[in-house]
Amino acid sequence: MSNLPSQKDAIAAALALYPTRPFAVSDIGSQTGWLKAASHDARNLYVSGPMGLATSVALGLAAVRPNEQVLAIAGDGALAMNLTSLATIVGAKPKNLSILLVDNRVYEFTASVPTPTRDMDWLAVGRAFFGADQCMRLADLTPERWAGVSRPAMIVADIAPAPAKPPALGMTPAMIRLEFLKASKA
Amino acid sequence: MAGQVASGEKLFRSIQAAKPKLVTGVPDGMLAQTIMLCEASPDFPYIACAREEECIGVASGAAMAGERAVVMVQNAGLLNSLGAFATMGLRYGLPFVVIVTNRGALADPNGYDIEKREAFDAGVRPMARVFDFDASDLPDDLIPAAFKWAEAARKPVILALEKRLGAEAAA
Repeated sequence: MSNLPSQKDAIAAALALYPTRPFAVSDIGSQTGWLKAASHDARNLYVSGPMGLATSVALGLAAVRPNEQVLAIAGDGALAMNLTSLATIVGAKPKNLSILLVDNRVYEFTASVPTPTRDMDWLAVGRAFFGADQCMRLADLTPERWAGVSRPAMIVADIAPAPAKPPALGMTPAMIRLEFLKASKA
Repeated sequence: MAGQVASGEKLFRSIQAAKPKLVTGVPDGMLAQTIMLCEASPDFPYIACAREEECIGVASGAAMAGERAVVMVQNAGLLNSLGAFATMGLRYGLPFVVIVTNRGALADPNGYDIEKREAFDAGVRPMARVFDFDASDLPDDLIPAAFKWAEAARKPVILALEKRLGAEAAA
């Protein structure tokens, strides 16, 4: 029995670090399913694009909503597919964007095939891009500490592989877009 | 060189006239002047991406919030990004504008560009609306008109800029 949190619990814990609900942009599949299960909200943007694109989508959102906090939620397999986005984010310097990296070392939606990054130190990767003070483990964070972390920043969460996939999203692209559009204009 | 600067400035002014909330891209020689003007513009942020697929993501994030976004990439870069273009731009019906330098034209015969152009014709045109333009003779209202079209169609639009025979050198 693993002592690691589930993906659902890790996402809920990361969202709870914020005093008010941030925009949450989740990668396709596992992150989207668990975000909805953890905390469905109109401020969630469920991405159906290629794996890993959530960090880029979140960067675009952060640029046009500079007074709002944005949290991108990426799996280890997903982020490895768009690792260059971390370099782009460092260059763009958004003061309102953070990344939650949930690392279960498998492609959960693809029969839990191990990821090529399963032995990689994501904390070291995040610190190489964002700096030691801007990348930390979820387990080490409190709302007070998180409030003092400058952005862009990255949170690394080691999580337990889930015994089953999350419940289906049950939303069409039109529903996702309309709900989010309303929330993003509010 | 004079033609390159003039067309680059013209494209920038047209982008500016459309009042986008952000512009994003990966450089190509034909876009260099425009990108530098965008970088320096106080009117909107220019997000320099490390890879073209990211640009589609960045534009999608802005468009999901109902804001205008412009992407600038070369044809090879858009080819790298077709999964994102389809599953974000087309699937969600996002009206962003993609400016593509369509290298490998008759007046632009670099050997390394030929297959890019053929792949662009084979892969991009069947899935998306592409409007073609002479890079050295762009309409002033190009980008505002492209946004009007995309917003009416509720999908992204691609503007393919190419060098034409007999035209002043664009890059």
